[in-house]
Parts: sequence; structure tokens; C-alpha cells
Amino acid sequence: MKALFTLMLLALAVLSPTALANSPAEDAQLAELERARAEIADQVHLAAFDLIDELAFGWNRAPVFDTPTPVVLAGVTVPVGLGTGLAAMVENHIAAVLLENPTTNIQLVHCPSCTAVVVHSGPEGTVVSRGYDNPEVLAELGGTTGQHALFVDVEAEGKWLVLRARLTRLTPDLPIVWSHTLTTSSGTPALLRQPDDLKSAAEAREEYLDTLHDRGPITIPVRFAVRTFAQPDAFFTENPGVPPPPFAWLQTGVEIGATDARVWTSSLLIGGSFIPQAYQGLMGQARVSRLLTGRSRSLTRPDLYLFAGGSVMTMWGLATGSFQTEPFTSDAIILALTGQPPRTTLGALHLGLDLRLGNRIGFSSFLETMPSLRNSDNMGDYTRVLGIGFQTLGMEVTVCF
Amino acid sequence: MQIFVLFVLTLMATVKPDPAPGLFRTKTASAELDCEQLTVARANQERPGQIGEARPRGDYVDRRVVVCSERLISHGVRPVRDEAILSTLDARADEVASAAAALGPDLQSRTWLVETYYPSVQVASKVSFAAKNSLMEHGLTVSDRTPILGFGDLDVITRMPAEQAYPAACKRYYATGSLGEQDALLAVVSRDPRETILHAGLCSRGQWKWLR
Repeated sequence: MKALFTLMLLALAVLSPTALANSPAEDAQLAELERARAEIADQVHLAAFDLIDELAFGWNRAPVFDTPTPVVLAGVTVPVGLGTGLAAMVENHIAAVLLENPTTNIQLVHCPSCTAVVVHSGPEGTVVSRGYDNPEVLAELGGTTGQHALFVDVEAEGKWLVLRARLTRLTPDLPIVWSHTLTTSSGTPALLRQPDDLKSAAEAREEYLDTLHDRGPITIPVRFAVRTFAQPDAFFTENPGVPPPPFAWLQTGVEIGATDARVWTSSLLIGGSFIPQAYQGLMGQARVSRLLTGRSRSLTRPDLYLFAGGSVMTMWGLATGSFQTEPFTSDAIILALTGQPPRTTLGALHLGLDLRLGNRIGFSSFLETMPSLRNSDNMGDYTRVLGIGFQTLGMEVTVCF
Repeated sequence: MQIFVLFVLTLMATVKPDPAPGLFRTKTASAELDCEQLTVARANQERPGQIGEARPRGDYVDRRVVVCSERLISHGVRPVRDEAILSTLDARADEVASAAAALGPDLQSRTWLVETYYPSVQVASKVSFAAKNSLMEHGLTVSDRTPILGFGDLDVITRMPAEQAYPAACKRYYATGSLGEQDALLAVVSRDPRETILHAGLCSRGQWKWLR
């Protein structure tokens, strides 16, 4: 009896809803699949919108109907494997584009009986179908004969997204009066056209180039830069001095792009620095930059540039005493207070990365070497590459006009 | 060490990304790429500025261009068989429509109906859609009408082997008037769950014929 009871308990445990549910591994796989689907749908919907815009643009150029004609949006299907959420988005976009473009002569109309499942019994038998598949029944239901039905299908075929559309006249013969297939590849960026101002791909490209040209090859950057100097290495320096304080610079000048793509740019800037009782300075700087991300600057995403250049700086004031090879000590500071403040002129070479946002705002960071101070006891190196020590680490914020 | 780092950086900058699986790309990542080989001239036409143009007197080396794009839907998201059909749907639909359009002038003047027999309803409707559009592109008259059979016919035909079922269905379509004198039915059929080939059959005036 006890054994039977145990067996029943075991059977209950095996057949319980918890036991029948997916294992954690299966749940994780399903969750990963859903995440992948959501990510794909996110990428696909812009390309699908682009194809719909192209479809409506084609109707604008060459309308299927001579006069405004009521059309039922009979069916929108999306790539197999993606959810119905994408279908709803595509359907809404079709409606939005057609509403904004009455010159397509396609007037979307609401027809619940067209998309409903209808059952019709007659002498030939009982037929179950969608309303638009059986126009004779539709006519009996609401007199919609004579309208047209629009079917749209979007499918992912390898790297291609293919949109197929057809218009069917809702008469008993259901003739297809128009059909079209459009394709775009995953490597093609979406044109993101405005529904009320549709353009061809060529026109959209022309507008993009015009936008690039509007900015012109020359921009005026205004840059705020801060240079910090490395502490001298106590291990290698017998009598380490004090490194200079961080130096702040305000710079401006011109920046020139070699082409509209701005793959290569160069800049010439002058700058000044003024901190009362500490230091003042003037500088001139030249820099060449190379775009690392993409083949042309982007209007929509950040661009990363690698730059290299050189600068000449002249600085004076108490805080510039460290720009010398001998150790800068407290005695030297007292001596400077009573006499002429120290003045330094030096050259520097720098290498860094510049992140540009819309070619308007830039954030950059660079390493700088000052050859005349390579043996200075007052500063060390942040890093050394091929025997060259970089004593300065700089950060910049740039606004371009 | 620094020279080694510089060497690696230079190597990374000069070596072109290879779509084949290897040191920098896994097999899974390579499988997600859809690549096609192009001539230098065509690649220049399609992607100006990315590939150096051929020299007027020809290149000294044999240059080949392979253009790769990521697949829109990764492997594993859809059933394997559906993926095989859908990823080449356009070409398959065009093949079927070309076979239909190549028939005699008598058939070209008919009104074409399309039916697809495939286990997945979603995939079947997409195949039908593509086939209809391809037939339209070949200049044929196409209808959205679906030929229907009565319950009794269906009950008998679905019990028959495939070799007999399609001709029998075709005869019944014609006999019941579901397919008229001026209609031609293009049936796109998946005959075996293990194959990814789509067969095509023609039903005209009660006569069945396999096209491919």
C-alpha cells in the first residue's frame, strides 16, 4: 500500500504542470530566440518602410488608377519568423504614406467584411473563405464589389529584403490589375524619407550631398583644451622636481576638409591661455586628421578621427618654471617672485583620437611629446613608444561653426 | 614588445577582412554572410570608390571582388527547410514563371491561377504571392481566384498517392467548372518533406502536366 502511494506521488510529480513546463535551458533558448527576433525586426522595419516609400513614390509618378479609387488593404505579411508587431507597423506606415500622398489615387477604405472569414452555402456547396476571396458574397454582405484589394508581402531572402505588392479587382474573376516587386539589401542604408515629401533614391542622394555641401569644406572650430603633465619618475630621476600644473588653452582657427566626405581634414589654430598670477601663453597648432569610421563623415552617427600634429607654445608666468630640464625647486620659485618670471618657448608633437558628433561637437584626447624636455627632471612620461616619451596627456572639447 | 605591437597593428590595417572562417572570424559568423563574386568592372559600378579601377592595359594580377552582406535573418531563427525555400524565393518563383511563360501561345493567352502545396501555410502564401508577381512580370494574365473542390472530392483525392492525386484534382477542377476553358492553373508543389525543390505542374482543361 505504501509502495503504491509512493508510486502515485511520483506519477503526480512527473505529470504536474511544473514538470511539463520547459526546462530552464529551453526557456533560455526561447528567450534568446525572441531577443534575436526582436533585434532583427528592429533592423528590418526601417528597410521595409523604405520599400513602402519607394512603392508609394512609384504610384505618385505613375498612378495605377486615373482617378481616386477606393482600395482595401487586404493583407500585409512580414518575413516568416518575425512577429505580428512588425506587420502592424508596416500596415500603419502604408496607411500614413498613402494618406500623405493623395496623388497616388489610392484611397484606403475600411472594409471589415473583406478581411473577415465568411461562410457561404449554395447549390455548389459550402465555401469558407476570406471576404475578398469571394466577391459575390461580399456584394451580398455590403456591396463592396468594384473596389480593389491591395496585398503587400515583405520577405527576407538572404541579404535581400523583398517587397511584393499586387492590386486585385474585387469582381468574381478577381483579376490582378497591377503587381510590383522591390528589393533592397541589408548593406543599403534606409533613406528615411518624409511621408509628405517622397523622393527617388537619386533625389534623396542629391539632397544628402546638398546637405554636405551646405557645410562647405571649411569650418571654424573653437576648442577648449587642457594639458596635464606626468609626474617625474622618482626611480629614474635623482632629484625629481615639480611638474607644471594643468594648462588650459582656448584655441580657434580653420579646419579644412580635402573633400566633402571629410575623410582627410587639416586644421590650423592659434590659441591663448591666461590664468592670473600663474601663467599666460600663446600657441600655434597644425593638425592632420584621418577618418577611421566609414568612408565619409556621417550626419547621423558619431565619427572617429585619428589625428597627428605639432604645436609651438610660448608661456610665461610663475607656473611655467617647470618647463626646463633642471629641477624646479622652492628656492627657484622664491627667486622668480622677486625677479623676472620665467618664460619658455617649446615645440611639441601630438597624436590622438577625436570623436565628432554631427561634425559640430568634438571630444578628443591626445598624447604629446616635447622633445626639448625629454630629459627634464620636472616631468616624467605617461607612456613611451619606440623610445619616444609622451609627457603630456590632453583632453579637448571642440565646437565647430 | 613595442615593435611586435606595431607589427600586429600594421598587419591588422593592411590585411583585408576575409569572409571565410579563420583567425578573425568564426564559422558561425561566416555562415551569416551572404557573399557574391563580382568582376572588378561591376563592383566599381555598384560600389564606386571602394575598389580600385582596372588599369587601362589590364591589371598585373588577377583581381577578384567578393561582396559580402550580413543575412537579414540569422540561421536558426526559421525552420531549415523554410529558410532554404524563402532565402531564394525570388529565383525560384522566376524559374516557375519562366517555365509557364515558355509554354505555347495558346496557354499564354489564358488566365493563370496559382496554387501552392507546402506544409507551412505562411510559406505557401508567400510562394503563391511571388509566383503570381513573376507571372505578371512575364506578361501573363493572372487571377487571385482559388479553384475549389467539394468535400467528397477532397476526401477521395487526399487518400490517393501524389502521382494520381494531382491529375485527379485537375480533372475534378475542370469537371466542376471551377477551372474554365480559358483558365490555366499553375501548381507549385513540394512533393517530399526531405527536399527543398519546388516542383511545378500545369492543369489546363482537365489535363495535368508536370513542368519541372
